[in-house]
Amino acid sequence: MSYTQLAPSDFVISSDSITAPAWSSNQPQLSTFYTASTVTSTTISQGAFYLNIYQLPYTTVGSAVQFSIAYGDIVGSGSQWYNNLVPGVSPSLTTYNQYSTLVYGPEISGSQGFNFGGAALNAPNIFAINVDRNRYKQSLLPGTFNISLTGPTGQVVTLCDDSNNTNTVNYLDCGRVFNLVSGSYGSAVNITPLSGIAPGYTASGSYGLFLPDIGTIILNPGALALTAASGGIGLTVDRANYGSGSYTLNASASYTSTNNTLLYQAISQSANFQLNSQETISSDYVFVRIPNAAYNYSSNPTFVTGSGTGAVLYSTMIYSPQTYITTVGLYNNNNQLLAVAKMSVPLVKDFTKEALIRVKLDW
Amino acid sequence: MAYLSNTSVVVDAILTNTGRQLLSQNDGSFQITQFSLSDDEVDYTLYNPNHPSGSAFYGEAIQNMPIIQAFPQSQEIMKYKLITLPRGTAALPLISIGYSSITLAQGASISITPQTLNYLGATSTFEQDGYTATIGDVRVTAAFNGVGINTTNATALNATGTATVGTNVSKTVIGTTINITATTVNTLFGSNTTLYTTLTVVGNDSGARLFVPLQITKTSK
Repeated sequence: MSYTQLAPSDFVISSDSITAPAWSSNQPQLSTFYTASTVTSTTISQGAFYLNIYQLPYTTVGSAVQFSIAYGDIVGSGSQWYNNLVPGVSPSLTTYNQYSTLVYGPEISGSQGFNFGGAALNAPNIFAINVDRNRYKQSLLPGTFNISLTGPTGQVVTLCDDSNNTNTVNYLDCGRVFNLVSGSYGSAVNITPLSGIAPGYTASGSYGLFLPDIGTIILNPGALALTAASGGIGLTVDRANYGSGSYTLNASASYTSTNNTLLYQAISQSANFQLNSQETISSDYVFVRIPNAAYNYSSNPTFVTGSGTGAVLYSTMIYSPQTYITTVGLYNNNNQLLAVAKMSVPLVKDFTKEALIRVKLDW
Repeated sequence: MAYLSNTSVVVDAILTNTGRQLLSQNDGSFQITQFSLSDDEVDYTLYNPNHPSGSAFYGEAIQNMPIIQAFPQSQEIMKYKLITLPRGTAALPLISIGYSSITLAQGASISITPQTLNYLGATSTFEQDGYTATIGDVRVTAAFNGVGINTTNATALNATGTATVGTNVSKTVIGTTINITATTVNTLFGSNTTLYTTLTVVGNDSGARLFVPLQITKTSK
């Protein structure tokens, strides 16, 4: 007998939640930010929609996309129209509706748009920070998000999600949703800025939304545009209508979004972006139970003398055989080898020893 | 007095190429139901029953051996299985097929009926659960099947076609008799006159293993 049937009780399924820094090389804080060489295009291309941010210079070995920045506008402002015969339809409108649908779902997004809790129900524009999938793995970990933004005249605000201030988690079409507030590590500051609606909130509502299940952070440009006293950093986005009147650009005009670069500079100057990823790893544990009377002989060709008779190598092994387990094979009913595990050192087995080996299969 | 260790040994497993293939088929064939153990890498000539320090050190040279990581080729791992035999066994089971190597001409056939020597007190016996035969490269055969074992699993395995898509793919069958017919296709030979592969026969009860070279010689032009 060289196979042993496994019993149902030998299988255990376990799910473990693993959290780790999101950025490359497990850096807990991203403090250097790079883009690829300036993307200026006179045709609709990547640069019209988003800007990839790297942790190392683009051409350096090991450089990888950490996150992307995109700007969306409810009336298509801030980027060149696709076609001057169709006013207002531009990459920024595409981006706004794309994220609106993603966050709120088609039922609501058609008429409502983003709502950050400020006086205006429909926020006219957004910034989206889209974390690379390899960085956030399965989801973002609430309470670990901290980002500092520096405005054009040096004002700084540090934002975080409000997961520590929230007793009941809210859900939208994109899963869990938290507000972005002025504060750190999941807790809002105790200070209410001028005309703010609550501690950590501005008159324009929250600073955005933290959407851990889709690896996305939405920023509210309306809050960032406020003065320092009002909780903002004076970041004024470009909302011109490129395609009409005096803003009509000629054929050589750039489609590249300047608003994406604006947010990139605000992030880069602060050099503080912290985020952890979270993933659930499901493991199958198979308990291999080896009784004392089993597996004490070997079909290894060196276990016998080589004389062609099958005689064991040493006479002491007739009544006191010793084998050395190096490998565990897991099979199906057809004796097909499905998975294999190696021991770190040979495990001695004889008639006086029993063994229990726990084999772990990760999925 | 010291405490007894109650910890189990934990090892991480990897899927074999066969496991990946069956998982991708999504037909229920990827279902772990049994295990086996092997002592691949171990050379028992290192075992020293005359060690001057005594019996606790007989296996010193083996027990200190660092183990190589697992590799996914299912034909190249779990080669030498540990087997369960009654205490006092002086001679281990051996597979005999009557050939030390097999050479077939194109289109020729051969039927192999393996026997097991030294098993369960018998000098020679046919194992009740038959034999598992694996050919390293099924492309060199026009037919490769096992007969004589009619369990559901054996029948299903033997009925499985092998779509090679021109690549080197092994095939495993179960039976008391293994039938091989050499390929008649010339393309595989290229400019060569002989194709080489291997046939591995494992006793399903005893775990004994036999490895036989298989050659196909080109006859047609």
